[in-house]
Amino acid sequence: MTELLQNLIDGLGRGSIYALLALGVAVIFGVMHLLNFAHGELITVSGYVAFWTISEGWSWYLVTPAIIATAVATSLVIERVAFSRVRGSSDFTLLLTSFGVHFVVFAVFLLYVSASVKTFPRPGWVTNTYSVGSLNLEVFDTVVIGVTLVTLLATSWLIQRTMFGLALRAAAADFDTARLMGVRSDTVIRGAFALSGLLAGIAGVFWLMRAGNTVPSAGITPMLKGVLAALIGGLGSLRGAVLGGFVLGLAEVLLRSRLPDTVASLTEGFVFLLIALLFIFRPQGLIRVAHAERV
Amino acid sequence: MAKPAGPSAANAGMFPDLRRDVAFPVAGMGLLFGAFIAFGLLYQSLFSGAAERLVTVAMIDAIIVLGIQIYVGNTGVLSFGHIGFGAIAGYTFAIFAIAPAEKAKRIPDAPLGLADLDVGSWGAAGVAVAVTVVAAIFVGIGLARSGAESGAVAATVITLALLFVTHEVARNWPEMTGGARAGLSFRIGGALDTRTPIYVALAGALVLARLFAQSRRGRLAKAGREDDLAARAMGVNPMVQQMIALLISVAVVSVGASLRVYETGSILPENFFFNYTLLTLAMLIVGGRNSVTGALFGVAVMTVGRELARRLGQDGFEVFGLGLDGAPLDWIFRENLQTVFFGTAMLGFMIWRPRGLLSDWEFDEWLYRQLTRSQSAPGVPRTAVGADHGDRLEVAGVSVVFGGFQALSNAGFDVRSGEVVGIIGPNGAGKTTLLNVITGLVPAASGQVRLNGVDLIGAPSHEVARAGLVRTFQNLRLFGSLTVRENVEVTRLMAIATHDDRSSPETDVLVAAAGLWEHRDRRAGELDYGNSRRLELARAAAARPRFLLLDEPTSGMSDAESQAMVEHVQTMAALVSAGVVVIDHDLDFMIGICHRIYCLDRGAVIAAGTPEEIQADPSVQAAYLGLPKSD
Repeated sequence: MTELLQNLIDGLGRGSIYALLALGVAVIFGVMHLLNFAHGELITVSGYVAFWTISEGWSWYLVTPAIIATAVATSLVIERVAFSRVRGSSDFTLLLTSFGVHFVVFAVFLLYVSASVKTFPRPGWVTNTYSVGSLNLEVFDTVVIGVTLVTLLATSWLIQRTMFGLALRAAAADFDTARLMGVRSDTVIRGAFALSGLLAGIAGVFWLMRAGNTVPSAGITPMLKGVLAALIGGLGSLRGAVLGGFVLGLAEVLLRSRLPDTVASLTEGFVFLLIALLFIFRPQGLIRVAHAERV
Repeated sequence: MAKPAGPSAANAGMFPDLRRDVAFPVAGMGLLFGAFIAFGLLYQSLFSGAAERLVTVAMIDAIIVLGIQIYVGNTGVLSFGHIGFGAIAGYTFAIFAIAPAEKAKRIPDAPLGLADLDVGSWGAAGVAVAVTVVAAIFVGIGLARSGAESGAVAATVITLALLFVTHEVARNWPEMTGGARAGLSFRIGGALDTRTPIYVALAGALVLARLFAQSRRGRLAKAGREDDLAARAMGVNPMVQQMIALLISVAVVSVGASLRVYETGSILPENFFFNYTLLTLAMLIVGGRNSVTGALFGVAVMTVGRELARRLGQDGFEVFGLGLDGAPLDWIFRENLQTVFFGTAMLGFMIWRPRGLLSDWEFDEWLYRQLTRSQSAPGVPRTAVGADHGDRLEVAGVSVVFGGFQALSNAGFDVRSGEVVGIIGPNGAGKTTLLNVITGLVPAASGQVRLNGVDLIGAPSHEVARAGLVRTFQNLRLFGSLTVRENVEVTRLMAIATHDDRSSPETDVLVAAAGLWEHRDRRAGELDYGNSRRLELARAAAARPRFLLLDEPTSGMSDAESQAMVEHVQTMAALVSAGVVVIDHDLDFMIGICHRIYCLDRGAVIAAGTPEEIQADPSVQAAYLGLPKSD
């Protein structure tokens, strides 16, 4: 029982980061029908900014806003340079455009920075733990879960209660009609990219605090987790993306702790098997978009 | 040279026309293969040393790219997972092909006694293909189902996850794969000492890719690629075609991957991961993913480009014999320039030329067109209009609710073969919704759609079409990058395969009957409005419907064109012995063509009768003009 509770809390911690990433992916999918394979690059770029600023002697209190600002700015620049040119194209074109962006960013760091791992010190409290009863909790997980909850609530307020959120929801429901009704497409798309960057930035702070290093290919794993979580939840549903993130995190933690030691290193493989099964029996994902209201 | 037009009589085999779909592709691909090899041999004799290896690698890349093309090109689903399948094949091949003595050193603990197994390289390649195809069946079910439910994007993400997971498993299962560092190896410097198997596999891949594209299955897959909804409405179930394309495609990729491992002499997880995915996809995209010729062309172009980038990165402009050392461009000429080259090529092509250099162009199709240009139009048989073949469509009690809005309430009509029945009504009356219910696109709250007594309500779209109810689309949903003839032909193939109890006019007769003969080899996406509408009609007729359901066939047409459309619809219905249900706003057209007319208003039938009765009916006038009823 204690072990299960422990797993659940660990899974929530891991799932929180996935949920933030997935929500960022889903917001852009909503307005552009673009599944952004370049989403992880926001974390790659942020990772190098963290490395450089920390080398300059900045503390994590300064690095944190720098990372978030970098992620938002990168998101907007990528939209401007690449995605604005393929708006309204076929899914195929959109997907490969984002894949191309991923590789260009990757290659630029490979070419002009270094192929080797750049490490930077993690904040001291990341590895601290505390006990509640027989549970052994990480300070880090607690902070991640707390910040994620606040972020999700704020995002929910933004989407439900503001004009921008209304425009975003309208555009997600029917982009052409929304434009006819006076929603400015540039504004709503850029806003979506900024929001997506902000969410990726917050996730990126945690990701980098835990990793303590970066490489040109650092963006691949967070991108994959975010995209998979969005898919598990049901493409197009914001609520589903968040749910998918938590489900993916929990599944990974539970599998890793329950599988026998000999195959524990193959957790990723088993997670994929579960996802494949999910799509065979529930191809629309956890939340069906046609019937589910969007957050 | 006037020859009898079109393919010979109803041929339900794998290929609609043996000359066009087998002889020309095989000959054409033979010529392409020769040209590719000649180019490679020339290159390798001009640049000595590493050039030979470069050409060998390019040929293996070509096999894998052609394999990917079979799936991506024909289904239109972007797959990142084929290199993941390649990893499965590559490791299986290595495990089965490496001699037991060598395995004892590297993977002594391999499960299932694999360490002692020795089946030779041919046997190993066979096992690799078999294992990978079995994996593809499992993945393919998930792909097809989620693709059908959530669109091609969902399928793409699953393929990406597959790539990632094969890589993780390869890294973390050292008992089987030798792990991330050591990997598995035959001997350093490559184990393949002759090119013969590569030549055979490349020629085979070219011919197979092209034959699949021309086959019945391949054509149906392409219909789904162009417009999933329209393909279903013509009776195609894209899931089946996607699965078959996937299996053939994965088998070819497996052969290529086995050769790649054998040629290198070793396998590491990194060999079949992101970089190789980028490389192969970029080759496919740049050349033109919808075309086999394009895929091969892309391999050639990108191999040359990559080699140039690599040498520029190494030596700068000295490659061209220019001594510009320390020149301003040195900052760009660095190691890894190839990765930048591939990434930018991919991005650039997506933004400025997403269909690649060759788009849909196929070498053998071009040859065939050159040789058959002067074909004359076939005669369109004059069949009596209005003969009753005993088919009955009875739609009754259909109700549909969208949220709080009652789109249809208790609507219905009936029609027999040989008859033309019209449905009119103001905008928003529910006419198209009624067609959508009949064709399985919109679920009804209640009601019946009985075709010859069999209730089809709630059946999936492609089954409704196969039963004999085939529609056209108000907003034009043609298979845009297929030619006019191919649009008709693919639908006809579907019909022949699913119900062979009814005769079917030739493709070319249908094209001529729609007045599209002179446009027969143009892409449907290039047609103007009127021709597109006529093609919608011909395509629907090709499905051998018992009833043609036409949604605004004259919308956007001039008066003269609408009048001509009366004759086109009558000819077409007579050709395929079908009844007609037609929705339109053009009253002259409706009165000219309909035997009976139903009038819908706010989801309910308010009047029915002959065109004269309907014109005189006060409630119809009230509905149209918003006048109060006289009572």
